[in-house]
Amino acid sequence: MELDLQAVGRVFKDVLNGRISREQADRWAYEVVQQEENGVVTYSPPVERERIWAGVMYLYGIDTMMAPNAYLHSDDDIREAMMANIVGARSGG
Amino acid sequence: MTVGDVHYRIDAASSGVWCRPEPAADQHRLLERQIDRAFFGPFFREKYGSGGDKGLENCRIRYYGPIHPASDAGELAGRRYVHEFNTVTGCTRGWHEILDRMGNVRQVRPERHNGTARTYQFDRIGRYKGSW
Repeated sequence: MELDLQAVGRVFKDVLNGRISREQADRWAYEVVQQEENGVVTYSPPVERERIWAGVMYLYGIDTMMAPNAYLHSDDDIREAMMANIVGARSGG
Repeated sequence: MTVGDVHYRIDAASSGVWCRPEPAADQHRLLERQIDRAFFGPFFREKYGSGGDKGLENCRIRYYGPIHPASDAGELAGRRYVHEFNTVTGCTRGWHEILDRMGNVRQVRPERHNGTARTYQFDRIGRYKGSW
């Protein structure tokens, strides 16, 4: 499994656009974590491994709720995390 | 029931293998924990322990992820992922937890490998409030 910033960024955007649910994003990230534990994930480019992983670990648990039917994170929180982990990474920041 | 009890139950439910909690650690056990952390640290610290790690008395090392802040959640500060490694059995387990602004764990959501999730809620002094 090869993973890059674009793939992770796409999941962030899909959540924000409502194309996929937060639960689906969480399960996508969970799958990546399982693959990583099995040692079959490669990061492209390798130098971005840390930021790609940070994005995955944000998405893992993105569906956390503070109460039934009330997500912990607002869309602004998610947008900010995307900017910090993905967009900022692309612009070298 | 407390947060610690939930962690104990998560273990029994999710891995089926666990270590009996030991009494207070002596110097030898403390040294063992330090050696475990140093030896196993590189395997997990980079992935799961950017927020720190802690060697527990019951032959486990707990790795804390960064806190992902929540801007609009009242007294709740954010969430983090916790990954625990048992140095004796090699088993791992993980859960998401929500912290309040005082740093208390207020919710725990264990990872269930069958895909279903349950959230356990606690008050500010760690007393169990309920689950959903």
